[in-house]
Amino acid sequence: MNLEFNEDQIDALREFMNVSIGAATASLASLLGAFGTMHIPKIEICNSHELAGKIESTIDLNSMYYVTKQLFTGKFGGECIFLVSEASATNLGRHLYITQNPSADEINDAVIELTNILTSTIVSRLTQELGTQVQFFVPYLHFTDAHSIVYEGDISEYSKIIIISTILDFQDQQINGNIYILTKDEAIESLQVLIDEKLEEIYG
Amino acid sequence: MIKIKYPDVLLDSLENGHMIIDDAFNVSYWNRWLCINTQVPKEEIIGKSLEEFFPEINYTVLQRKIKTALTIGTPTFYDANSSRRFIPIERNKVTTSSLKLMQQQVTISPYIVHENKVMISIYDISELFEAKLLIKKEMEKAHKLNEKLEADKEIIDKNIMVMKTSAHGVIKDISSFFCDFFEVTKRELLGKNVSIFKLSDMSDIIYRDLWETIKNKKLWNGELQYRTSKGQEKWFQARVVPILNIHGEIVEFSAVFHDITKEKLLAELYITDPLTKLYNRAHFDETINFIAKHQRKAEVDFILAIVDIDFFKRINDTYGHQVGDDALVCVSKNIKKSLRENDLVARWGGEEFVIMLKNVTLDEAQKIMEKVRSNIEQNIVCHNIKVTASFGLTKYRENEEPKETFKRVDDALYEAKEGGRNRIVVK
Repeated sequence: MNLEFNEDQIDALREFMNVSIGAATASLASLLGAFGTMHIPKIEICNSHELAGKIESTIDLNSMYYVTKQLFTGKFGGECIFLVSEASATNLGRHLYITQNPSADEINDAVIELTNILTSTIVSRLTQELGTQVQFFVPYLHFTDAHSIVYEGDISEYSKIIIISTILDFQDQQINGNIYILTKDEAIESLQVLIDEKLEEIYG
Repeated sequence: MIKIKYPDVLLDSLENGHMIIDDAFNVSYWNRWLCINTQVPKEEIIGKSLEEFFPEINYTVLQRKIKTALTIGTPTFYDANSSRRFIPIERNKVTTSSLKLMQQQVTISPYIVHENKVMISIYDISELFEAKLLIKKEMEKAHKLNEKLEADKEIIDKNIMVMKTSAHGVIKDISSFFCDFFEVTKRELLGKNVSIFKLSDMSDIIYRDLWETIKNKKLWNGELQYRTSKGQEKWFQARVVPILNIHGEIVEFSAVFHDITKEKLLAELYITDPLTKLYNRAHFDETINFIAKHQRKAEVDFILAIVDIDFFKRINDTYGHQVGDDALVCVSKNIKKSLRENDLVARWGGEEFVIMLKNVTLDEAQKIMEKVRSNIEQNIVCHNIKVTASFGLTKYRENEEPKETFKRVDDALYEAKEGGRNRIVVK
């Protein structure tokens, strides 16, 4: 199985992701009344045991995090992880529940809601660009330290993982978070096939 | 694909709650599960606002979620772990009480987008949630237990001398207390063979007994002697346990040591004559009575000797007690150096010494004592003062009372004194 992407595939994926992220930013503005920016996505392919290190290298290791994981399935399936620090999550709870002191339940629900909008928009738009469909599962949230976001033992059965990551930043509300779209082995191959088909469709 | 003729029947047969509402919360569908679990019949609620029946729902949040589902075209979700239920529904389960209200997973899916209608599905995840709570509780218990174990481990590490080795005697772990006691670091010991602790003067018999016992998968309990780099003599009570795997094979040894040096010194003091450093009378009595009582073949073969310094009173009277004490020490040293390791010598009282010579004939014993007598005669106690001693010898007879043996040896000594002193008489 060749899981390496060629330059054309990477360029196309980056372009599809730019479109998807643009759609997500628009959704967030319209649905949550929050105007934010999202960074240009970074695309990396790594071995499964490198995942924890890759994530830890992009975050503050001294913070506690709300970690939401949402699965999506279909021809292109995988997992979305949204990381938001404790302070950002509290600000999000304040913003969505219109209260100065949001309860733990309100913060959790706000984080899930934001994740759901981000994941659904980004992945739906990406798969729409690729001409396929996905099904989303219930997001699962937990509150943890920076070193317990990924359990390496749980992912050891995979060989390769593709990480598409970006940073979300709402300056007015002081909310920022990291988004990772992860997919593995066969799903990477499917993604390659879908990109090739799309490139064929566009350029003939 | 077939066309489902009776979607109502299908939705009613599901074990989940399903309702269809618009963004103004007007209910247009309410399935059987919801009728039963909320006690609100569909005839009552359909066409009316959900707010009338369930005012406790946060409608600002619900409206936002409906808008999200309709805009994105994919389901939105409530937090399934929330303690705030979408619609509070009592649970009837009586065997557990951890959840009084049904834990719900609520999904809002777009239904007819141009009519702003969504389907709200409620799934009962109470059993799953209870299992999760139980796991969390057990994890907390395990965590507490682990903390306690860690604390206990620290107490052991700081206060008890513990060593773990592989089946081949390679040191795998060692307590800090052990390292502190021996003034070594863990790094110096880990990976080394335990034989580095084989004491230069430790009896080979004890060492062999230890290894044979533990290699036979048995516990070894015993005392070990060690001489530190500073030359201090230390004694340990050791307990060495072989650890077996499920196949009964030795995987490692664990050993616990307890410093008994002070106890050993006290015990020595209890049986030692302070002036001559020989055993005292009490210890000799105890030994000979033990031998007489048990009559073990290897022990009953001995010669009893009594040594008495000649004219000792005169030495004390003429030169003083210090010279008298010097004479006692000088004689005791002469006796000690002429005997073998396993012979027993004690100060019997005053200027008398008693000796147990093991596994020798009377003739051999007489020759040994002759050497002792000659040494005493030739040695200078101090200031050109010399002393002599008289000896009585007898063989212990099997099954006789020690007092009978002492009677004979006393008679022999008496004869030696009467015969002119500085001589040996055998009885």
